Amino acid sequence: MPRYQATLLIELKAGILDPQGRAVEGVLRDLGHPVEGVRVGKVLEVVFRAEGPLEAEAKAKELAQLLANPVMETWALEALKELP
Amino acid sequence: MRWAIVRFPGSNCDEDARFALKKAGIQAEYVWHTERDLKGFDGVFLPGGFSYGDYLRAGALAAKSPVMEAVRRFAEEGRYVVGVCNGFQVLTEAGLLPGALLANLNLHFTCKEVGVRVERNDLPFTRLYGKGQVLRLPIAHAEGRYHADPETLARLEGEGLVVFRYAPLKGEADYNPNGSLHDIAGIVNERGNVLGMMPHPERAVDGLLGGEDGLPFFLGLVREVVG
Repeated sequence: MPRYQATLLIELKAGILDPQGRAVEGVLRDLGHPVEGVRVGKVLEVVFRAEGPLEAEAKAKELAQLLANPVMETWALEALKELP
Repeated sequence: MRWAIVRFPGSNCDEDARFALKKAGIQAEYVWHTERDLKGFDGVFLPGGFSYGDYLRAGALAAKSPVMEAVRRFAEEGRYVVGVCNGFQVLTEAGLLPGALLANLNLHFTCKEVGVRVERNDLPFTRLYGKGQVLRLPIAHAEGRYHADPETLARLEGEGLVVFRYAPLKGEADYNPNGSLHDIAGIVNERGNVLGMMPHPERAVDGLLGGEDGLPFFLGLVREVVG
């Protein structure tokens, strides 16, 4: 069965105050960069086996829903690739 | 009366919980997170700590442990489940309580005594307190900012599910230690048998340790069964 790598991006929902992002933003501003905002999220790279690309995509989405907290986070399947 | 204290890899308030339960006259036993059965217990205590190192999110990985399915059934049977600090985070991550606990607004791990107002005293956990009484309890957390969407918050307030709220001890203006919405420190489910809170009543059951305001919390559980 082929191996796949899914790249999942998990972020705080828009509107939820992100103190980590605020701290990073403050430092960038102190360094003189005129940034308007920073949000900190997480990238998860998950490797698994699936029969084909369709099953892999479904599996990746299932894993994302398991790993993100829908109360405070959104998730996106950023990339899905078959590994050699 | 027999309570289970669930130990996850990284729990560190398990011994405090056992000390407090025992002091209240409750038999307390440790249960490892891989257990699938909670038969014979009258209550379950999810202690504070850093289950799985708070990886992914505080409480997120512990919420998927085998024991949590048993805790879910236990709660559905109407038996008592208490989650303190990391235990509260586990309960929200498991969906047994609504909302979520986010990083403290000040980004600090905050370890200090805070004022905690008892909003209702018709629950076993709070029956020995006065309504509106302000307790002095320790907190020790980095992710204790209670968050829920506006509909959930309205429901919690409307149904009186907020049990504990941060309150000034000495009239200070900035009494909310983490930025929790509505100053929420602890909530209960509709049925009144699943309670989660960030402050640690189990660390305040002996004058030698700095205070006894947490002891009635545990003594109230005993009266629930004895009548």
